[in-house]
Amino acid sequence: MSGPETIAAAPSFRRSPWRHPSLIIGGIIVALIVTAALVSLVWTPHPPTKLNIPSRLQGPSATFWLGTDHFGRDVFSMLMVGARNSLAVGIVAVSIGAVFGVLLGTASAARSGSWLDEAIMRTADFTFAFPAVLSAVMITALAGPGVVNAIIAIGIYNIPIFARLTRSGALQVWSRDYVMAARAAGKTAAQITMRHVIPNIAGLIIVQATIQFATAILAEAGLSYLGLGTQPPNPSWGRMLFEAQTTMQRQPLLAIFPGLTIVVAVLGCNLLGDGLRDVLDPRVNRSRS
Amino acid sequence: MLSFILRRVAALALTLCVTAAVIFIVLEILPGDPAAVMMGVNATPENVAAIRAEYGLDRPAVERFLTWIGGLLTGDLGLSYTYRVPISSLIAERAQVTLPLAAMAVMLSASIGIPLGTLAAAKANTRTDSLVMGISQLGLAVPNFWFGILLVLLFAVTLGWFPAGGFPGWGAGVLAGIKTLILPAVALALPQSAILARLTRSAVLEALQEDFVRTARAKGLSWPATLRKHVLRNALVPVVTILGLQFSVLVAGAIIIENVFSLPGLGRLMFQSIAQHDIIVVKDLVVLFAALVVFMNFIVDVAYGIIDPRLRRT
Repeated sequence: MSGPETIAAAPSFRRSPWRHPSLIIGGIIVALIVTAALVSLVWTPHPPTKLNIPSRLQGPSATFWLGTDHFGRDVFSMLMVGARNSLAVGIVAVSIGAVFGVLLGTASAARSGSWLDEAIMRTADFTFAFPAVLSAVMITALAGPGVVNAIIAIGIYNIPIFARLTRSGALQVWSRDYVMAARAAGKTAAQITMRHVIPNIAGLIIVQATIQFATAILAEAGLSYLGLGTQPPNPSWGRMLFEAQTTMQRQPLLAIFPGLTIVVAVLGCNLLGDGLRDVLDPRVNRSRS
Repeated sequence: MLSFILRRVAALALTLCVTAAVIFIVLEILPGDPAAVMMGVNATPENVAAIRAEYGLDRPAVERFLTWIGGLLTGDLGLSYTYRVPISSLIAERAQVTLPLAAMAVMLSASIGIPLGTLAAAKANTRTDSLVMGISQLGLAVPNFWFGILLVLLFAVTLGWFPAGGFPGWGAGVLAGIKTLILPAVALALPQSAILARLTRSAVLEALQEDFVRTARAKGLSWPATLRKHVLRNALVPVVTILGLQFSVLVAGAIIIENVFSLPGLGRLMFQSIAQHDIIVVKDLVVLFAALVVFMNFIVDVAYGIIDPRLRRT
């Protein structure tokens, strides 16, 4: 029987991040998607929202690389703009989660065992019961559908995840000798948090942010599919899948390309997160756990 | 044991109250007058005032909250603005689709994820392990609604083995009902089984390191018997817990999947109620979904306490 999770030699990870295939593959995929999103700001093969009825439902060709949809719009151009949209939602939603989560998590750890800690953690437990889609449904029910409300809903869902992670990481730092020394030297909890806790848990937060980014892309796609996220005529991957369902029998590829793009983007973020975890958190070899 | 269950029931009641209060407060704080939202384009001041009076929206917030909670407790959820039928009967009818769907998805994900995770752990660091983990990595990245669309494309449109959507009702026969729910259940179960496979692998690997495994092997117990009788029994405790906790993800997934397959379940009712601005139904459904999640966590807590007596003290 081969040994399960083994303690790895930390220096080898630090010296050779390029030996981690998931980091490289994930990094390349994410870089490609970011490039496509950035390029779409200045150039797309065809205008992504321009209707071109005579060219509707065409298959892939030299003119339309991935074909056209039922309005004759170029699928490749729409996917490029959709990447911009997914990245924007992911960045803002994960930032909301990370900023508020880290703030609450560090406060909770600094006042561990107090009523503040208890209140923050119980609220986190409670918010955890609301999946992003459920919060989004509630928010959009009254405030109306739209990308901003989708971002808020996904962001709120992310807060308890970062808060719990930050708290557990910060509690470990608080128990270290150098923090005891800093306390003995009269440093305040805020000073210790800024100087010792946050730099020590930064790696943990970055890794989680990458993974939550993947979740945010999935959640945004789901919400846009339901018509609660990005609104037409702005292209979004989830919306494209919704529209593809009506023409699926005549042009099945329309239902394939946006889905594949989501899978590749999410896979890229997850692989990047796994790779970063191996490099930044070398205590345990979790490369395949 | 009794005091443990009583404490958990008290915590459940408290959480449910807080859940209802938070949903109520959030819907109060959110911009938008429910009466105006319900009227949509017909929102003249007179119409809005009439709706406010009909649904008691002109009464103080505390009074409305207490009335709503009272209704929730007695099963009187009021009338749906759109359907003009009691919301409780609407929910009971739609639950006949969603609950079997969720149950099928849980069973499927457990029967795929747990064996795959155990296999990966038993063959740790081999090609089989890499293959299973690779598949589960892919499973995590596939949006369930897209997987649903692909299943329709293959098994309904191309092969014609299953219906592409809709639900004939249980009156048309149990088999016909189950046949309609198979594709949606598979679509819902896929990401869950990927997560479960990864969790099972870690849990089994952890259990393999325990002393009792070495003892069992030392006394001559075969490797498969050790795995079955000692390792799996211990590893499954956290796995079952996670399976229960994943219920919230499943509930949210049902909202999307029921739309992919046009199933008349609770998720589709929620979606339709939003489209038709039926805020009262939306509020009741959100609290119901949240209550289902909280109740599931309660069941997991109690089951965990029964399986592992040490946890009863916490």
